[in-house]
Amino acid sequence: MHSGWQWQRRGGLLAAGSALALALALVLAPAGLGGSKRTAASCIKGAGKPIKIGASLSLSGDFSADGQAFKRGYQLWAAHVNSHGGLLGCHVKLDIVSDASSPAQVVTNYQKLISSDHVDLAFGPFSTLLTVPSSKVANRFGYALIEGAGGAPAVFANGLHNVFDVSLIIKNQLVTAAKWLASLPKSERPKTAAYPTSNDPFTQPQLPVARKIMQKAGIKTVYSKVFPAEVTDYTPIATAVAATKAQAVLLGSVDVPTVSAFIQAFAQQHYNPKAFIATAGPDQGSAFTSAVGSNAEGVMVPNGWYGGEANKLSRAMVKAYIKKYGGNASGINADVAEAYSVGEVAQQAVTKIKSLDNKKLIAYLHSGKTFTSVQGPVKFNALGENTAIKAFTFQWQKGKYVQVLPKGAKQSKRPEYPKKPWG
Amino acid sequence: MTSQYAQAVVDGVLSGGVYALMAAGLTLIFGVMDVINIAQGVMVVLGAYLSYALSVHLGLDLFATLVVTVPALFVVGVAVEWLFMRRLADRDRTAMSILVTYAVAIIIEGILIQVFGPDFVQLHGPYVDKSVHVLGFYLPYIYLYGFMLAVVLLGLLYALLYLTRFGQALRASLQDRRAAELIGIEVNRVRTLTFGIGVAVTAAGGMVFGATNAFNPNSGYDLISRLLTIVILGGLGSIGGALVAAVFMLVVEDVVAVAWSPTWSTLVFFAVLVIVLTFRPSGLFGRTAVRAQ
Amino acid sequence: MTGETSLLRRGGVFAATLAVTAAFVLFPLVFSNPTTTSIAFFVLIYMIAATAWNVFSGLSGYIALGHAVFFGAGAYTLAVGAEKLNVSAGWTPFALVPLAGIVAGAIAIPFGLISLRTRRHTFVVITIAIFFIFQTLAFNLSFTGGSSGLQTPFPLWTAVGYNQRFYYVALVVLVATVAMAVVVRRSRLGLQLLAIRDDEDRALGLGVRTSRVKLFAFTLSAIPVGMAGAVYAYFLGQIFPQFAFDPLFDITIALMAFFGGLATVVGPLLGALVLESMQQEFTLRFSAGGGIYLIAYGALFLVVILVMPRGVVPTLRDALANARERRAGSPGPGVRVHAPLRSRP
Repeated sequence: MHSGWQWQRRGGLLAAGSALALALALVLAPAGLGGSKRTAASCIKGAGKPIKIGASLSLSGDFSADGQAFKRGYQLWAAHVNSHGGLLGCHVKLDIVSDASSPAQVVTNYQKLISSDHVDLAFGPFSTLLTVPSSKVANRFGYALIEGAGGAPAVFANGLHNVFDVSLIIKNQLVTAAKWLASLPKSERPKTAAYPTSNDPFTQPQLPVARKIMQKAGIKTVYSKVFPAEVTDYTPIATAVAATKAQAVLLGSVDVPTVSAFIQAFAQQHYNPKAFIATAGPDQGSAFTSAVGSNAEGVMVPNGWYGGEANKLSRAMVKAYIKKYGGNASGINADVAEAYSVGEVAQQAVTKIKSLDNKKLIAYLHSGKTFTSVQGPVKFNALGENTAIKAFTFQWQKGKYVQVLPKGAKQSKRPEYPKKPWG
Repeated sequence: MTSQYAQAVVDGVLSGGVYALMAAGLTLIFGVMDVINIAQGVMVVLGAYLSYALSVHLGLDLFATLVVTVPALFVVGVAVEWLFMRRLADRDRTAMSILVTYAVAIIIEGILIQVFGPDFVQLHGPYVDKSVHVLGFYLPYIYLYGFMLAVVLLGLLYALLYLTRFGQALRASLQDRRAAELIGIEVNRVRTLTFGIGVAVTAAGGMVFGATNAFNPNSGYDLISRLLTIVILGGLGSIGGALVAAVFMLVVEDVVAVAWSPTWSTLVFFAVLVIVLTFRPSGLFGRTAVRAQ
Repeated sequence: MTGETSLLRRGGVFAATLAVTAAFVLFPLVFSNPTTTSIAFFVLIYMIAATAWNVFSGLSGYIALGHAVFFGAGAYTLAVGAEKLNVSAGWTPFALVPLAGIVAGAIAIPFGLISLRTRRHTFVVITIAIFFIFQTLAFNLSFTGGSSGLQTPFPLWTAVGYNQRFYYVALVVLVATVAMAVVVRRSRLGLQLLAIRDDEDRALGLGVRTSRVKLFAFTLSAIPVGMAGAVYAYFLGQIFPQFAFDPLFDITIALMAFFGGLATVVGPLLGALVLESMQQEFTLRFSAGGGIYLIAYGALFLVVILVMPRGVVPTLRDALANARERRAGSPGPGVRVHAPLRSRP
């Protein structure tokens, strides 16, 4: 604040003019967050300049379905921020490039975003496979990489300090469900279980953890095999699982086609396990239900979020999503929430430190503060993993996607067990 | 345990039928025209999408969609051949065909992404989830129908090749283009029609594929290498060979998946192929003397 | 052509080569934007692979679609080697690059012995089959890290000049590869391969030891591809089995060689330059719109192939030759002499 003494020393029209402008700004600017739009003058980057946020997404290729969902999440967040005063007073502009699900492309993309497009912040791509090379590029340039879809151990094994995953840690995703099955009374508990899994860094760490818990409770393992990630026909594998007549099936899947192929084969074989839990696929909303139809009934999946989430932030996002894209809350792909959460964490951190300096951002994100997001609380450990997020298990019941575990949690409904027969 | 193996064999036979349907067009084009159609995988997907669009928007039964998709893909095949393949000189035909069909494949994929988007879809029908109970096994209807369709279509193709004048003309123009032209065969027209027929059959394969797997525009790539191996294993130009090879390989794969692990079944699939080809380079039913191998 | 013009031509070729090499060396210094140098690096990698592939497939006519095996083997050699030998990040891992080439060459021998017994279409498919065998192995063996892949050392170089270091290492490998391609093309080995391409049985009858020649060329072609894989792996920082052993890689290098012109040395270089930079640029700028970029890329590709079916370089060269002959006043239109047995640069 200029003291009267400085003003007198400077003297002249210039000083008077700037004081006037300052006074005007103070009068016109709202006295706090929320409400009317800020004037361009209060944008931290300068009048009228946008904050550019860059991300590389898989809009074609293997991960295209998820990439598109992620794009929606980022865009919804940006729209929300821009309609609520912007970020640090500035308009947020997303710079999204496609990487065609290729790691070589993703490396070039982040270099372009950072050094050619001069983005202020970098958001992550989809999948561990692409997050690892991206995080290294971002690290080189001193950028933080806040992401929501790279959670396998490989991402955190590099000793990089700049990567922050807002989503659930992969390894323990099935723990809640496994514990529930293990804790059922003996007469209800499944006697046998099958653990087929895809050959993928997302699924493989999860199954052994669940298996251990269930074996301890006396649930015998009758099938525990890995199948190739890129298989053209799942039927023989699913049929082999069906032949074991296991009472519970924990499927390590990464996408909808895998799950739907298993379900279809199970239905054809008239094989009805009491519990069917897949690690991914059923959490993709309408993409899942349009593939399996009424067979979605009773299928469970672990995740950190769902459309019926009660917290205020989530409700607002769901409302905005339905307004823009139609459908209902159960139809929203969980990827959308992951992407949205990335934006939210970035927004809160940047707003708190009042700066776009990535070094400060990284330090602040590592400071142990807890952030809020549509997926729940976010708190990063030294590796960049989110230790505060809770793993829930969801289930499709009568066409609605509801939370069922952990039992006793506020929104958990009663799990449908045993699962209704297919068809 | 034996029932698991038996089930694996049954599965292999049935899925072999589906693959044979997809590969039939390829063996025709490859074996008889000396063209490696890399776009075959994407064309299967194209056929699947066309059936999908028809069944979703017009409510047609899956098999009924074939009435439209088969002629549609025939037209596509003829167009591709006439526009692109024809301009390839005979000399580097095989090698150049890889290039050209690859370009065609990515164009088709791009069109599919634009029209249908990248999400996975699957063909549905009242009988897709159902199976018939036979001798203690559940045989899914869709696979049974697919297998029967494969036998019928392959039989028709076979008849076309060996019992009609057109087939004769085709085989003649393959053996020696000059000589065939001299006796009045319009080689170019024969080739165009053959390519069209090869792609048309693929429409049927696409429908069954789409009913048994979730697919998106990217699904073609995983298919093409398997289709190529089946075609070579069966012997170029041999329709029956394609069926036998498809069934054989799928049975081997499925049995290994049960006996050992699904991750190794692909390896065994290809290892068996390598072994067979080293001893019989022209495949199980191929004829070595058709042209210089 | 008179001896005088031939000397002039030789001099011209030499000067051109010098100019091009200088351009390559100076490129990242002039265009130092990381995006550009990143793309340039990948272009070099593909140039190495396409040139090496062409040494075998272009000259012999055996279309091998399994070279990704060597690329992946080289990548894993560097990753596993760096891990087991506790190599620290920085310049040291580059010492593993020649080792990667040797490993790739070693794998090429049994690979070649099995596959080269077959011909033409069977050969193509066998190379694909062997490729998938290796890919499955990479996914399942423990020392390859399975589906989680392997990390390569993470150098602490700053962002400025980071890409350039990799670029120059790749350039060194490229120069060596091109030199090898030129030597092979002009040597007896090259002639023998071309003879095999034209008519293998006749070559055999003329005394060419075809199996030996093919195997040797095949192995030679594997080594640079392995080295390229190693440098690539180090640049990306992490390898996963489906990317190190990528079936699209096989098709891509074949396409690049075809595009530029099989059996020429410059062809694959041109093909890699045009196709890889186009591919990355297109994806970067257009693919946010879904399938449009695929359609555009494919259409462009198609147009070029149909207009220049023998590849860019031979078509241009013929056009030049025709123009020259017409200027020299020879009767009738320029005759396209396709003389595969004559040595050409």
